[in-house]
Amino acid sequence: MLPFLGMLQLTVRELRAKKVIWGLFLISSLVLLIVTFALNLDVVDGTLASARIFGAEATGGIDLENLVFAVQSIVAGAAYWLGILLALFASGPIFTTLLTKGHIDLLLSKPISRTRLLTGHVGGVWLTMLGLCVYLLGGIWLIMSLKAEVWNARFLLSIPIVLSMFGVMYGVIVAIGSFTRSTALSLIVTYGLIVASLGLAAVTQITEQLGFVSKAVFLTLYHTLPNFTEVTTIVSKLSQGEPVSDWYPFLSSILFGAACYLIGGIKFYRRDF
Amino acid sequence: MPPVISIASLEKTYQSGIIRPKRVRALDGVSMDVPSGSVFGLLGPNGAGKTTMVKILLGVARATGGEARLFGHAPGDPDARKRVGYLPEKHEFPDFLTAPQMLEIYGQMAGVSDTDRSRRIPQLLDRVGLSHATDQKLSGFSKGMLQRAGLAQALLNEPDLLILDEPTDGVDPVGRREIRDILVELKEEGKTVLINSHLLSEVEKVCTEIAILNDGTLVRTGSIESLTAADQTYTLSCTPIPDDTLAALKDILEPVDASTTQDGKRTTESASAPGLRRYRVRPDDRAGLNAVIDRLRRDGVEIDEITPVRQTLEDYFIDVVNPRDTVPA
Repeated sequence: MLPFLGMLQLTVRELRAKKVIWGLFLISSLVLLIVTFALNLDVVDGTLASARIFGAEATGGIDLENLVFAVQSIVAGAAYWLGILLALFASGPIFTTLLTKGHIDLLLSKPISRTRLLTGHVGGVWLTMLGLCVYLLGGIWLIMSLKAEVWNARFLLSIPIVLSMFGVMYGVIVAIGSFTRSTALSLIVTYGLIVASLGLAAVTQITEQLGFVSKAVFLTLYHTLPNFTEVTTIVSKLSQGEPVSDWYPFLSSILFGAACYLIGGIKFYRRDF
Repeated sequence: MPPVISIASLEKTYQSGIIRPKRVRALDGVSMDVPSGSVFGLLGPNGAGKTTMVKILLGVARATGGEARLFGHAPGDPDARKRVGYLPEKHEFPDFLTAPQMLEIYGQMAGVSDTDRSRRIPQLLDRVGLSHATDQKLSGFSKGMLQRAGLAQALLNEPDLLILDEPTDGVDPVGRREIRDILVELKEEGKTVLINSHLLSEVEKVCTEIAILNDGTLVRTGSIESLTAADQTYTLSCTPIPDDTLAALKDILEPVDASTTQDGKRTTESASAPGLRRYRVRPDDRAGLNAVIDRLRRDGVEIDEITPVRQTLEDYFIDVVNPRDTVPA
């Protein structure tokens, strides 16, 4: 267990040394400070009497619940897109650094199996991202709930969703990195899949225009590749306290991520360093 | 006592490329043992297969044939690696950490308990001469300091087997001496040390046994003393031998190659003792040597010194390994 914890700690410290991670932490802190001090809500008997943003009175009839949902939705959306993209940018090089000659052979000389070594690394990356997610999304939820007394517990589900989707995309980095040891290629493929998911999200409209073969190809891609864009809808619904009717994009993405970790793990286990 | 490392018919072929696979045979049926308590030097030119052998022993690379055992365990068995300390040649330590922080993490990974780590880290930093740099990040370390930190890392789990790949690379002469002293101490403690090095003079000073690899095969193995001893050859320093005596003994006595003096003349005169000459004596046995001495004394030659010739490890290495294949370190 001690070697595994050592690997976990090493990864967390490697990420802590990255400026992008500190940047994410500072941006999250700024968002939390803005919501805490710049957004003033005057709630009387459970209804919003007045709202001031940076001291300026918000005009028009604003519903308290809608305001809370809107703030949470904006922050969760930003955490999902901007947060994950930046977190991948920060953590991508960590995996290929792990595979560097002189680093990996030293780690493999320790009494730890390759499986545990990789699990410790991935665990360390996830743990760091969990910390950032809980800090930002948990912080927003707590602040808004205390200010508005609207306790949208469903919003907290966006933390595991954001973390899981980061994990899915990090799985791509692990798979590509295990074969190529190239940070650039790993990030290009990962970001490429995110961009491709923008097209996959329009599955209904696009397949209507396609012939039999191209439709089959597109649907295969839709069901195989991660549906990063479509999962935004799930995060948005959870932020607005609405029930999620379709979990398929999330579940198929999780399966894709699991396959990536499996392929990357097998290659990591079998390769010579 | 069973050998710490046991290798039998070990083979490794690297394959690269998918469309046109290229195969490189790094190890070709190597068999050898590293006895417990020895300081063992693994020598060979670049590409001889030394690092591949070490990587197979540690489970970093996988053998394609034969068998390797580490403390009787298969390579890659974490139980065997508990007893091993390793310093790779081109190590990449996390340079954002200080030396104590690095040792703390690698100590955990080596399975060293909290109590032992807190006791041993300051001791080891002191032992490798880094106790003055505990607040400095590794990014600010010189190559020599990194090498010392790496050695401390390898010693943290009090290993029974220490595997060092070019341990004195980049270290200044004082540092080399200190590292050598540590290796001697470890030998006295009964630890086994496997050194993979190009610095033959360093190996000669600390190793008791060596193995020479060339082109993936084991060329020689044995103690340095037995391998470098030249058979029945002596250097004789004496007054000039008369020509007729020299002619009578020409089969076993010959002048040492002439050297050039400051004024450009060729001479066999000993530079350290003017008036004396140097000769090489190759008798069949001890009795033959004594017969030569008797004859020289009888002919009025005054003998100053007779010393057995011993090759340096470097000379021996060059003789054994085809010089054309040898890349200077």
